Amino acid sequence: MIEVQELTMRYGGKVAVDDLTFTVKPGLVTGFLGPNGAGKSTTMRAVLGLEVPSAGKALVNGRPYASLPRPMRSMGALLDAGAVHGGRSAYAHLACLARSNGIGRARVAAVLDQVGLADVAGKRISGFSLGMRQRLGIGTALLGDPGVLMLDEPLNGLDPEGIRWLRDLLRSLAAEGRTVLLSSHLMNEMALSADHVIVIGQGRLIADTAMTDLAGHFQGDVLVRTPHPEQLTAVMRAHGATVVTEEDGALSVRNLDAAEIGVLALSARIAMAELAPRGASLEEAFMRLTEDSTEYRTGNRATSKETVR
Amino acid sequence: MIDVIASEWMKLRSLRSNLYLLACSVAAVLACAGIAFMIGRGFDNQTMDERMAFPSNGDGIGNGIAVAYFVFALLGALTITSEYGTKMIQTSLVAVPRRQVLLLAKVPGLAAITLVTGQVLAFVMHAASMAVLGDRAEQLLRDGVTLGTSLSEPGVLASVVAAGVSMAAVALIGLGVGAAVRSTPGALVVLTVIIVVLPVVAKTLPMPLRAQAGSFMIENLPLQIAGVGGGMLPPAAAAGLLVAYVVAALTAGATVIALTGRRIKVLAIGAAAAVLVSAVPAVAAGSPGSGPSTLAWADCADKKLVKEMRCAPIKVPLDWAKPSGRKIDLTVGLLPATGAQRRMGTVFAIPGGPGGSGVADLSKNAGSFAELRARFDVVSVEPRNTIDKGVLPYDCLVSGPWITWPDTRTEWAELGRRNRAAAQRCRAADPEFFDHMDSASVARDMEAIRVALGEEQLSFIANSYGGVPGIDYSRLFPSRVRAMVFDGSLSPWMDRAQGRLPHEESFTRFAAWCAATATCALHGQDVGKVWRALVARADRVPIPVQGESPQAAYSGFDIKEAAAPSIISPGPEPDFPRWTELAEAIKRAAGGDASGFADYVRQSTKSPKVPAFIGMNMTHCLDGLGFRDYEEYRTKRREGERLLPNIAGIELWHPLACVGWPAPVTNPPAPLPAKDLPPYLGVGSWTDFNSSADIVRRVPGSAAIQYQGHGHGLYNAGNSCIIAHVNRYLISLRLPTPGTVCRKAVT
Repeated sequence: MIEVQELTMRYGGKVAVDDLTFTVKPGLVTGFLGPNGAGKSTTMRAVLGLEVPSAGKALVNGRPYASLPRPMRSMGALLDAGAVHGGRSAYAHLACLARSNGIGRARVAAVLDQVGLADVAGKRISGFSLGMRQRLGIGTALLGDPGVLMLDEPLNGLDPEGIRWLRDLLRSLAAEGRTVLLSSHLMNEMALSADHVIVIGQGRLIADTAMTDLAGHFQGDVLVRTPHPEQLTAVMRAHGATVVTEEDGALSVRNLDAAEIGVLALSARIAMAELAPRGASLEEAFMRLTEDSTEYRTGNRATSKETVR
Repeated sequence: MIDVIASEWMKLRSLRSNLYLLACSVAAVLACAGIAFMIGRGFDNQTMDERMAFPSNGDGIGNGIAVAYFVFALLGALTITSEYGTKMIQTSLVAVPRRQVLLLAKVPGLAAITLVTGQVLAFVMHAASMAVLGDRAEQLLRDGVTLGTSLSEPGVLASVVAAGVSMAAVALIGLGVGAAVRSTPGALVVLTVIIVVLPVVAKTLPMPLRAQAGSFMIENLPLQIAGVGGGMLPPAAAAGLLVAYVVAALTAGATVIALTGRRIKVLAIGAAAAVLVSAVPAVAAGSPGSGPSTLAWADCADKKLVKEMRCAPIKVPLDWAKPSGRKIDLTVGLLPATGAQRRMGTVFAIPGGPGGSGVADLSKNAGSFAELRARFDVVSVEPRNTIDKGVLPYDCLVSGPWITWPDTRTEWAELGRRNRAAAQRCRAADPEFFDHMDSASVARDMEAIRVALGEEQLSFIANSYGGVPGIDYSRLFPSRVRAMVFDGSLSPWMDRAQGRLPHEESFTRFAAWCAATATCALHGQDVGKVWRALVARADRVPIPVQGESPQAAYSGFDIKEAAAPSIISPGPEPDFPRWTELAEAIKRAAGGDASGFADYVRQSTKSPKVPAFIGMNMTHCLDGLGFRDYEEYRTKRREGERLLPNIAGIELWHPLACVGWPAPVTNPPAPLPAKDLPPYLGVGSWTDFNSSADIVRRVPGSAAIQYQGHGHGLYNAGNSCIIAHVNRYLISLRLPTPGTVCRKAVT
């Protein structure tokens, strides 16, 4: 369990994290979303005790991370796959870190095997690809067989096979009752990986919700193709629809569902070539959420701030 | 904590670059070998005297230690800066969130590996230096150490070990600086300043400051820890300073690394420790066994003295049996320690004569003491029996009756009357003063000076007759003697004729020289035969000094006494001017004119024949140099005539001056408290070695070394080989191995 309570991180005059509160629960894969610069990494660094909060606190299993006796056994973390000394072998790198938390060499070998680096364990890290480094970083997080995992952008640089491997791994770990938090700035990735999502923008919490709720919360549109777009547009607008003509001539219709559009077209005796309801993509939902946070930033706080719980 | 230490040890070990870096420390060995090679080359191209003036290469490590420090400091700095450079520090801090634990856990592994490699490196550097110097390393230099100091010499093993330890300390300093600066280039700049720039800057400072600043440089700490040089700090302070540097650097590193954390308590403890440990050198900086001096040092009144000489007056009782009685003033002279090295104490140069001023002698011979002054204050005194003191008339003291060689009791009594009359003339000015000119009183004056100097113990160089007050001091204050050198000193226990055997040998050398040298006036004749015939004839009928008015005539005894200084001191090679003059004088005397001898004697005494010096005899006679009675004189004379075919009688000249002396013997020769004394060193030339050796052989563990050439007062005269052995003895109390001799310098 990770608890962030009224966390504020201030650097000089700039507020990177602003009164942020959320809880990451065990048994789920939780996504941590936000555009670049939203404060995700800063929040994670605060959880790890790498940064001292200006206010509030971040707890792991109810305690500050730095006070955990052998912290890697409680929480595994990956912040930056590049934060390694290229001169060491993968094995030596993991072995050094394992030793500092009293973790045995057998576990190091097992983790190397688990992350698929067993064959290159003796090779120096400087020769590793980004994907291999990402796997090594994930291996580092797994070393202590921790109950809590916190991974910052773990999918970066992984090939499709690697992405699938990691998704399966995280789901299985969550299924074992562990707490899993992974961050991303790409909603699409998260859609397939996470059960729950926490969205922040400009250091503030925007959403903390189940993934399915997030998708349903944002209405989709209806795609309409017709040989007489001008007439149909006029009819639909007369019935309160918002209509946008797309590049290929298709119409994007909102505020009317597909059945209503079909009835209107029939009564106006306009032929239809295609009629298809479209769901909002998570990406779109995410973009709209963060657009809101942009609006909020410009000062329109009272009217348009929308928080979904 | 153990886990973290083990983890850091693995980190250190698992980087091949660390191994390569340590391998770079071979450059330090190459620096040592290269500089030793250049020293050796320069050494070979010099004369022996120039070689002896070389500064010692010591254990040889100093030439390369900056290179070693640089490598070790870089290793230490990289231990942390490479983590910052690669961002590994973030991963490390996730594994070990307690920042100071992470930093301090690096210390044991780094210390272990650098302690081991530092020791190996230090010993290899030492061995390389010594191997390149080869046999030259054994050459003893004027500063009292050999050109290269081997592990068997005192303190060298300690200095090599300390050098290795200091390398480990520098690695830890590198770690602290690295943690404070958090970047490899930044740490490199700071460490270069500490290891290279500061020592170079220190060397450009003017003298007292240079030595003081140099003492605090890391590279000079190992020698100071071992107590064999390097600067002014005592060993404990130097070791404390090394620890303080490490603690200070690590505290700085821990402070910076903790600034983003909030562990201020550890920080405060570290800072307090740094302050405490830094205080160690300041507290311990005083010299061992010396308190404050109560002497008021000022510029000397005598402007002929060298300008660095300081003078101070001291009052002593004229009669030490009445300490609160009449006081006399003495002048103490000081050539202060230069401050180049830690001051070890004070060397007292006891003047000869008797009647010489030690202050004037010290000034005149200041150059001979230059190396000794790196570690010692050198003091001397115008002793109570200095002849130009002004209490007794100078002209009276430098004159006296002509001494005769009595053949009968009547002549003995006549000599006594003349001696007594002359002595009474001088004594009349201040009889009480005149009767307290013995060497034991001089020794007690020296003790008063020791007390005033605030020294627990003194070291001594007794020159010539200064040996007698030296012996008296040893007898009266044995626990105050740290070391004593007798240079051409008279042994009061040695049979006088025996003591003159080397002079007889000098005569033989003179005869041999004459036989081999065409410019000798007696070349081609049997010099011994001519000489003995002349002496025998003159003893029957004295040979007049032509043109002298009133008439003076030389007996055989007079001739021997006049010739003796020339026989034993022939002057510089290859001309031997005084042997040349002596041969001329003999030739002229054989022709009936003793003016050759008289001319020479008149140069130094303003008298046609050698007069007794009341100024010397006022001490000699109280010290028991004279005969008990006529019977003893006869016995000694027979013995002398048996042992000394050419110069018999000159050994009796000084004792005969005490016949009839008006003051009693107050300081007769007495045995030394041998068990209570440290080993002594005797030095001397062909003609005065036996006597010095006879003194020191009475003190267990002592040694003596002979200069195989002419001379008297070898240390004062600047004899490099003797100065080297004496300085080594005074600095490290090490004596030459039996059988060691000083050969004449071959140019």
